[in-house]
Amino acid sequence: MTALIEIEGLFFDYHARKPRAEASTDWTLRDISFTMAAGSTVGIVGESGSGKSTLVRLLCGLLAPSRGQIDFDGKPVKDWLSEDRREFHRRNQIVFQSPASSLDPRLRVRTSLSEPTKALQQRKPGAGELGDWLRDVGLSEEILPRFPHQLSGGQLQRIAVARALSVQPDVLYADEPTSALDVSVQAQVLNLLMGLKERHGLTLVLVSHDLAVVARVCEQVIVLKDGQVVEAGTTAEVMSDPATEYTRTLVDASRATSLIRS
Amino acid sequence: MLEINDLNITIGPNEIVSIERLSIPAGRRLGLVGESGSGKTMTAMSIIGLQPREAVVTGSITFAGIEMVDRSEVDLSDIRGAEIGVIFQDPLRALNPTMRVGKQVAEALRLHNTVPRRDVKQRMLELLEQVQLPNPAALARRYPHQLSGGQQQRVLISMAIACDPKLLIADEPTTALDVTVQKEILELLARLSEERGMAILFVSHDLGVIQAISDYIAVLYGGNLVEMGPASDIVGRPRHRYTEALISVNPGHPEDISASLGEPLVTIRGSVPPSGGFLPGCRFRGRCPHETEQCVQEPPISEMPGGHTFKCWNPVDEAAPAMAHGVELADGRR
Repeated sequence: MTALIEIEGLFFDYHARKPRAEASTDWTLRDISFTMAAGSTVGIVGESGSGKSTLVRLLCGLLAPSRGQIDFDGKPVKDWLSEDRREFHRRNQIVFQSPASSLDPRLRVRTSLSEPTKALQQRKPGAGELGDWLRDVGLSEEILPRFPHQLSGGQLQRIAVARALSVQPDVLYADEPTSALDVSVQAQVLNLLMGLKERHGLTLVLVSHDLAVVARVCEQVIVLKDGQVVEAGTTAEVMSDPATEYTRTLVDASRATSLIRS
Repeated sequence: MLEINDLNITIGPNEIVSIERLSIPAGRRLGLVGESGSGKTMTAMSIIGLQPREAVVTGSITFAGIEMVDRSEVDLSDIRGAEIGVIFQDPLRALNPTMRVGKQVAEALRLHNTVPRRDVKQRMLELLEQVQLPNPAALARRYPHQLSGGQQQRVLISMAIACDPKLLIADEPTTALDVTVQKEILELLARLSEERGMAILFVSHDLGVIQAISDYIAVLYGGNLVEMGPASDIVGRPRHRYTEALISVNPGHPEDISASLGEPLVTIRGSVPPSGGFLPGCRFRGRCPHETEQCVQEPPISEMPGGHTFKCWNPVDEAAPAMAHGVELADGRR
């Protein structure tokens, strides 16, 4: 498979005005390199503050690297943003943790769902399209005129997914998409993401603090700690034989609250 | 020590909770589990009179022999914080952002006059140490936003245990935390409960978390207690179809599941109806894949050895092998 995303020697800091030594431990992200193949599923795991979400924002072009380079489809993200920003954002979509705060409470589902098409493709989606998008995520078009507060957390997260997919992206980033949901709803959303990935041939990047979730969905896993990649590889390898103490801790923590298979 | 009998909570025409019997023996840990909208928080909060104003509570809740239902606000506020401690889901919202944490813990001590004034500071530092916060003296001088989520929750726990309560009500205390921090907090709560002989009522939507801390588990759906018993029985040999479903949605052990990579998880059909939207008879009707004609009637309480009870017309076979997550269930139930 061809590499869709390539990261080489990436450093990032939220407030570095003056140049910082590469060895400094104050970087938010430090010396990160990896590649993602088109159509793969990649999990990014780590505790709060490990830099997971920052990394995703860099990959989506929402933040600019302090040092190093990110290539998307053979071209640096920096060039994408200056030459064809809309096309880059169309191909890289993101779903956030809290569905309630990622949808504008004053907008009807119909309006929220139309936004990416209007902004990135400069056209207004037809009623038929809106209905198709909702059906794709297991919802009915009856909810188009509703407001977010009239819907459940699981429904809102489905809408956020439908909205991200409305512009036919290549990559879907899901940043803790199930952390705010019940375990029973989590299963539905994960199934939805896995199904959509297959149907649309997406590259799926799933960010989570819970290895049990990542292990179920992702072929590849990247373990982050304090802004550095401590371990990366296929999920099967990393889970069965964690190379670092930190990954072991994550596995144990996830295991403690998983139900026992007899 | 805590006894609930014929508890009914209604809001307007809707019955939110209806529990025949539920008890927690002194020093034991009971997990109350169910999806959002099952009535868990309503049940837990009614124990200390913190249900919403419009809710009408009838029946009996006795705590250490004292009837709690219809007790005056003055009496309740004596019990709350002193005899019964409470911790909530979001630690940052439960702490005062403008007050140093040490002062907030000291306030919990002063409020119930449990220690002489000159000993308050010393006791406060001891409490912070008991919840395993590093360097209590320095930490006490910080503001809540300067602490991590796990540290904030530890501070809240120290406030909740300040007056040596006999019962601690923990409402989703780890839901907002990372799995690694969650494990630490669960271990801390279990240890405090052992050391102090403190009973815990632990509320969560996640049966995986519940089984990690509880001696007994009570499963709530549609405000009804559908199954109750020792934790190992509930997780290992569930009888009610809803309990079975809650077990099956758990994503499972991270090491075991690499084999099932990309396999869909088991889900529960449909979603929890809004209050008042539950069908009469078994509340799980309509979502249950094992529904029979009998289920339109109220199911009886069936009793099993070891205090395991359930309310189901078509229960999981008693002879079924001990529950393995998602295995037998996987077919046809996605």
